[in-house]
Amino acid sequence: MSVVSAALISGAALLGSGAAMPIVSRRISAALALQALGVAGLGGAGVTLVVTRKPVGSGFAGALTPALGADGLSGFFLATLAIVAVPSLVFAIGYLAANPAGRAIASLTGWFVLVLVGLVCARDVVSFLAFWELMTVLPAATILVARQSRRVRRSVFVYLAVTHVGGVGAWISLLLLAHIGAFTDQHAFAGTSTAMQTAIAVGAIVGFGTKAGLMPFHSWLPRAHPIAPSHISALMSGVMIKLALYGLIRVEFTWTGARLAWVPYALLVLGGLSSVGGILYALVQHDLKRLLAFSSIENVGIIVLALGAAGLLMNHGLRDLAAIAFAAALFHTLNHAVFKSLLFLGAGAVERQLRSLDLDHIGGLLKRMPLTGGAFLVGAIAIAGLPPLNGWASEWLTLQSLLQLRSGSAGAAIAGVVAAAALAATAALAAFCFVKVTGLVLLGRARTDAAAAVREPARLMSAPAMFLAAACVLLGAGAGVVVPALTRLAPMPAAIGTGASLHIVGTGILPALPIVVVLVVLVLVLAVLRRTSPAVMAPTWISGQPQDDRLAWSSAGFTKPLRLVLEPLLRPERAVMTVSKGALVRSIEYRSVTPHLFDTLIFGPLERVSLRGAHVARRLQSGSLRVYVAYLLVLVLGLLAAARLGFIG
Amino acid sequence: MTGTNIAAASVQIAGLVLAPVLPGIVQQAKAKLQGRPGPSPVQPYRELRRLWRKGVVNVDGSTFIYRLAPATITACAVIGVMLVPVAGHSLGWPLGADAIVLVGVLALARFAAAAASWDSGSGFALMGASRDLTFSSFIEPLLLLVFAIAALRAGSTDLRAISDAASGTAVWGSAAHWCAAAAFLLVVLAETGRLPIDNPDTHLELTMVHEGPLLEYAGRDLAFLHWSAAARHWIMLVLATELFVPHPHSFAFRLAVLAAALPLLCIGLAFVETWQAKLAVLRVPRLLAGGALLALIGFASASIGWPP
Repeated sequence: MSVVSAALISGAALLGSGAAMPIVSRRISAALALQALGVAGLGGAGVTLVVTRKPVGSGFAGALTPALGADGLSGFFLATLAIVAVPSLVFAIGYLAANPAGRAIASLTGWFVLVLVGLVCARDVVSFLAFWELMTVLPAATILVARQSRRVRRSVFVYLAVTHVGGVGAWISLLLLAHIGAFTDQHAFAGTSTAMQTAIAVGAIVGFGTKAGLMPFHSWLPRAHPIAPSHISALMSGVMIKLALYGLIRVEFTWTGARLAWVPYALLVLGGLSSVGGILYALVQHDLKRLLAFSSIENVGIIVLALGAAGLLMNHGLRDLAAIAFAAALFHTLNHAVFKSLLFLGAGAVERQLRSLDLDHIGGLLKRMPLTGGAFLVGAIAIAGLPPLNGWASEWLTLQSLLQLRSGSAGAAIAGVVAAAALAATAALAAFCFVKVTGLVLLGRARTDAAAAVREPARLMSAPAMFLAAACVLLGAGAGVVVPALTRLAPMPAAIGTGASLHIVGTGILPALPIVVVLVVLVLVLAVLRRTSPAVMAPTWISGQPQDDRLAWSSAGFTKPLRLVLEPLLRPERAVMTVSKGALVRSIEYRSVTPHLFDTLIFGPLERVSLRGAHVARRLQSGSLRVYVAYLLVLVLGLLAAARLGFIG
Repeated sequence: MTGTNIAAASVQIAGLVLAPVLPGIVQQAKAKLQGRPGPSPVQPYRELRRLWRKGVVNVDGSTFIYRLAPATITACAVIGVMLVPVAGHSLGWPLGADAIVLVGVLALARFAAAAASWDSGSGFALMGASRDLTFSSFIEPLLLLVFAIAALRAGSTDLRAISDAASGTAVWGSAAHWCAAAAFLLVVLAETGRLPIDNPDTHLELTMVHEGPLLEYAGRDLAFLHWSAAARHWIMLVLATELFVPHPHSFAFRLAVLAAALPLLCIGLAFVETWQAKLAVLRVPRLLAGGALLALIGFASASIGWPP
């Protein structure tokens, strides 16, 4: 047995025992530490797999017996899982300390992570689908254990309903692939009928797209992520939705070889819609965790854009460029996992002290929690896609991949440039969104007394955020090393040079490390020049009036120009109520909401129709044994008749 | 490193010093067009000297974000000036000359200005920042489309290759180039903060965009910010010259074209400023979106190979 498989097995065993431990023992900190240790081992094995690209365990098997194994791509997702799960589990030690349901949550967290590992290592269709369903159910169970209210139960119901209905696509797609034997035979897919190929591709896009939160199948995501405990939100947003993309990558690239011409275009359309739509709705949110959830939709969109570019480049025979686009998708997957979990953990540290994450009621946290706040700032800059951090590096690579489509047909070039323009708009809007978050959460004055009393959390809760912030910086500076390793994982591997910068044909270079150095040196020199001049303290200038906290800018105020410009698209609703007594105006109340149009226009009607359908179907369930026996009899007779007439068998 | 590169690099470094003269020329030309004597073109240097001697102001309760923002914005502007090639050549330094890196660096500067506005909590600053960010979500795609058209011809997003591909006369036969030039004009007006998109001469809170976030700053901070605004003029006008002013292939001629074109473009900006009234804030995105559409049509025409 190789070292890697030993590490995988012992990591999974540690993780499993850590998950089982809270059932028998009260010491959840030891259990979570054990889980973190196990995941760290799995992550180490994952990195080794990425570097060596030597598969361990079973290969993909067509049989129905369970098979487990891992290759380079599985290794990459294991490493991504580890870099999110280790800090999240450490964070959970402090986060769950005073929680009465802490033991149950700690145990469920462990099982959840173990299921994620299982999904990545599954090598046959039955275990893949089993882990796939468990991956949906376990976080739902965790949410229900952690929070008990009608509203939460309703949200969890929507989450399960939408992911299950959408998830049917994944079942159809995978079972059909198993049926034609595509797991073991690379050419099986090409040999089937067009109808079969279309069914497989559509099933995969709808099924995995729903779970990934791709627009327009995303309705569950902004409901489920905000109500989960923060470390679970980090795992869901950082890893779980990425594993849906893992499924999509397996189907579209490993098993079908991106052979359908329309699939990459569909991915570009869905990716563009998700990235622009996700960030637009993120901008108009007031609740921090809901905002982060919408931003996950945006980032999934960016990853899918890169996957679309990879597929299209592959179909045009541009294999090296396709590998780079594929690496862009993987790199952004990793980067988003890092900074999104960082932001969720930061939000969790605040939520524990404030109870509410309404953006208009926080303020000024950078001064009161410099470590967590500083890490949160790094995460915000990274997710805004700004140099020199990791989000910037992967968005640069994605943009370049889309622009490289100019080497393909005219249609591909135009699709690529429209997608690239959408991505540029997304990046600008993300900067807008996260400067708003930074300002309202970290900067300025505290907006409520509760926010003024927030303190730096215990080391166990600030250290994970700082670790992830360091990862943001390192992945940004080290893009010249990470990306070449990822291009080798593509189904059409390409070798590009490793170095401080990323040299890709058809671009200037991505100066990953140099831009960090130059920016830091220049800012330091200029800051020293500033320090040598005398400084005075002064209040903010508000036209000579005294300071008044009621004049503080709100989330809605800051995004107002954009909402006005995009009014036809976002359709915000406003209401102004004026209470006047005689000639005196006593109070003015202003309310403005931006409804989620996908919910009101698509999912609302859909939900009503399906509930009505369920109501009709319920009449079949009379509860009387005789009626059920009659159903059975009719079924058997029907089957016999069908067999007799030659419809089946 | 060749002699050409060294010459280009010295012009780039000179650009750091020469940048403030560009807004100076605009002001002078504008005054002349309006029949005033106006300040001398070197007035921005005098302002910078005056500000450099003064002390800075730290807003009560602000953090290091407010204090480091001017330095960050200036650092971004320095990098921007060094990224833009001169006559198709630049210092062969490890930062390269990629067009999208330039877009990113400009975005970082914008982020720093907006974050500092939140830190000081000033309503005027935030109003300017929120408008600037709203515009930027239209400017960035527009700028990207211009670069995409240029890259289609040059086969690379390296600004040096893009500049070389815009040399000669053949390029003016393509419809895409004309569309890109019109779209880029909007980017220049927006990024330099000029009428009809922004008015650099006003401190009237209802109309400020780029001036808003500057309002709390004094002394060296303000000097940094004024210099950065001037550097944005350099970046945009040099790019405009490299991409959209007809020039021959030879390096020496192109330097001469640059030297002649920069003041002329400044006078052109002054002309637009005198001729145009400020556009209502909410109409600006429509104008920019129109520019993006034009650029998209240009790209489509080039990729289907029309006109042949």
